[in-house]
Amino acid sequence: MAILEIRHLSKYFGGLAANSDVSFEVPERSIVGLIGPNGAGKTTLFNCITGYEAPSKGEVVFQGRRLNGLKPDRVCRLGMVRTWQKVRPLRNLSVLDNVVVGALCRTNSVREAREIAHRQLAVVRLDQKASILAGALSIGDRKKLEMARALATRPKLLLLDEVMGGLNPAESEEIIQLILEIKNQGLTQIVIEHDMKAIMRLSDAVVVLNSGEKLAEGSPEEIVHDQRVIEAYLGAEP
Amino acid sequence: MTPDSNAVYRARRISLASLTLAIGVLFLLPLFVESTYVLHLMILIFINTITGSSWNILGGYTGQYSVGHAAYFGAGAYTTMILLQYRHIAPWYGIWAGVVAALVTALIIGSICFRLRGPYFVLASIAVAEIFRVSVLNLKNITNGAEGILITEIPPLSSGGILITDWDSKVPFYFTGLVFALLVILVSWRVGRSKLGYYFQAIREDQDAAHSLGINPTIYKNIALSISAIFTSLAGSLYAVYVGFIDPGSVLSVELSVQIVMIGIIGGVGTILGPVVGAALLVPLSEGLRSNAIANLLIRAGIVDPESRAGAFLKENLGHAHVLIYGILVVIVILFMPEGLVGFVRRAVARRASR
Amino acid sequence: MAIFVQALISGILIGGVYALIGIGLTIIFGVMRIINFAHGDILMIGMYATYYLFTLLHIDPFLSVVITIPLMFLFGAMLQKVFINRALDALPQNQILLTIGLGLIMSNSVMLAFTSDYKILTTRYSSSSVTILGISVSSPLAISFAITAAITAALYWFFLKTDTGQAIRATAQDREAARLMGINVRKMSTIAFGLGAALAGTAGALIAPTYYIFPQVGSIFTLKSFVITVLGGMGSVVGATLGGVLIGVAESIGGVYFGSGWKDVVVFTLFLLVLLFKPAGLLGKSRT
Repeated sequence: MAILEIRHLSKYFGGLAANSDVSFEVPERSIVGLIGPNGAGKTTLFNCITGYEAPSKGEVVFQGRRLNGLKPDRVCRLGMVRTWQKVRPLRNLSVLDNVVVGALCRTNSVREAREIAHRQLAVVRLDQKASILAGALSIGDRKKLEMARALATRPKLLLLDEVMGGLNPAESEEIIQLILEIKNQGLTQIVIEHDMKAIMRLSDAVVVLNSGEKLAEGSPEEIVHDQRVIEAYLGAEP
Repeated sequence: MTPDSNAVYRARRISLASLTLAIGVLFLLPLFVESTYVLHLMILIFINTITGSSWNILGGYTGQYSVGHAAYFGAGAYTTMILLQYRHIAPWYGIWAGVVAALVTALIIGSICFRLRGPYFVLASIAVAEIFRVSVLNLKNITNGAEGILITEIPPLSSGGILITDWDSKVPFYFTGLVFALLVILVSWRVGRSKLGYYFQAIREDQDAAHSLGINPTIYKNIALSISAIFTSLAGSLYAVYVGFIDPGSVLSVELSVQIVMIGIIGGVGTILGPVVGAALLVPLSEGLRSNAIANLLIRAGIVDPESRAGAFLKENLGHAHVLIYGILVVIVILFMPEGLVGFVRRAVARRASR
Repeated sequence: MAIFVQALISGILIGGVYALIGIGLTIIFGVMRIINFAHGDILMIGMYATYYLFTLLHIDPFLSVVITIPLMFLFGAMLQKVFINRALDALPQNQILLTIGLGLIMSNSVMLAFTSDYKILTTRYSSSSVTILGISVSSPLAISFAITAAITAALYWFFLKTDTGQAIRATAQDREAARLMGINVRKMSTIAFGLGAALAGTAGALIAPTYYIFPQVGSIFTLKSFVITVLGGMGSVVGATLGGVLIGVAESIGGVYFGSGWKDVVVFTLFLLVLLFKPAGLLGKSRT
């Protein structure tokens, strides 16, 4: 069963087609890797899915429900949440309070939200830093914080935008383990990444975007041997 | 208990005790203090605490720096005065009409201004407040325009046949101001710790990120504005009835809006104590300057010879200098203590504690 | 009809001066991304400088522009170096408050020094008029428009033809890229603020013969200059030029048809409409 369906989605900015007739499905409890060269339209696609942009054409269907035009806060309450390519901590709030904001999506009680927040922080192993200001964290910790905050909203679908960008191998490994653990808990994830090894390890299926269009789709094995994909990333082979 | 939490527990009990003591002193003050001037200062401090704290909910917590808050102050003031002077409706009913007027104004202003961010929001807030002031100035039939409204008498307040006050002295205004001020501080404190407070601050920190976490920025900004407008209008109504005279220049001007912002900024944006400290500092300072009390003090202390040119200059002009001092304070605070006096003191204390 | 044309011409003439104010503000915003709330107060200082140059040294206000321009440039550069520079990393809201504070210091210092009494600068030609194309126009207004046009032309030449001018435009377009190209962005900020102040002060000098001079006169000009720059697009010199003329005309005609009491409401409503529907300005650009 597909938790998310993208049907012929296009997004134009003036004359520029940032996304052009993109269609694919995301099966429940799976991890879909979304790759493509810079400027391929991956983040724009995320923006269209989560309500920051309205698609010019096509549909976004989440759990059988058309989402077009729904604002990000409604999308979140329906069970879809995203992280950001350039991480966005709530700098002047503590690590704990950042996650509390996420948890308050599902409860009106601050006390309950704090308990949820502590648990989420333990999952990403940031609980020792709960009272530190988010602005003081390292980039790796900020990424983990953003994941914890997103998870606190109890999503069914998590969209990760280059969550491993700028991390060292140890930090990246931690994130990979987290993503696999999240999958075990029953969440579905779409992961935008440039790190091909990570994509290979994590994804059940891979969708390749190039210049706004869907270039290819398949298992990681198929994609890595797909001639068109190789050309898109490396230029035409001699 | 661990030694750490023991200390925290003690610290909390001390601050609770001192808070109760302070409130007690404030309630008993009129019994011990005869000077009407002191009462006058305290009433102004209360009014400024109310406006500063209300502004803080929108500006400090939610990060929307409105420089048009005079619109709500004036909405409360004018509604209450018009109802009192022209319809003979007692102010204890009138102020609630003032609250309604301020809320309507707030929702109109919010729907226009909240589409804008950062400096553009600031500009828009000034523009709408100015439109409001000029409209009030021009609608002479309703508001008496530039001549303003002067009240001739306030009806006595009685309950069950017993006279509570006939508003002859400053004392009833003192207690009204004190109660309103405590109320807004309480609301500020409770909101800060509630889901609303978390959402307000999330919007301040990063509106788009907050949006992705299930927060509708428009709704919450309007909630913050509404709370802010309600209390600001109460302050405006109290000011109007206390002073007895209002005109567009005194309750709807950009200068007033700027002063409201300054109380929060100088005291400490985003803190509960900040506006209180800001008001407690700025009111005596500006009144002291205005009434030449400071000039007289300097003369009496022998620092300045009243016959000298400096002395004459001071006596004549220091009265107008209070806005100059505001300006200097704001510049100093923003350049050197952007967290305001409260933030500055807290850091200094924390630094000393960690040595 | 004659009244309409009269109002139109007056509006265009005063609009030239408004354009100067707007260009000054937009340069500051373009280069430093700061909205200068003290802009009107700098204009006020220009007015007072012109007034005292006239009453004490008997220098004609329009001639004294030669003195006022460099004087105000230095003043603006000083403000930038001493105060604004320290707040370049602060929250935009705090930067606004900083300039508000500076404006208050300026207007209230002037009030302390020179009292709030309205001052009037009357020259022998203050009430005379010239006839252009059959329309009677106030002489001072006509002269100031001519000077404004000359200054604006000089400015355009500066931005298009000189190295410094182009460096400023580069800094306004992309601060980081300009820095990487070797442009001293700090110096550009100082120059930009100095330029902005010089233009505001000059506008003050030009209107000194026709406006009441008092310490608080700055605030209404500050608000007007915002409207002008937003109308034309923050950061666009061309936009500010057109915006100034447009506001001058709107005010003049609005004053005739709605009464002078409501003309400010007309301007502010226009302002809000632009902020809401065309925030990048009527021209749709937001870059120099």
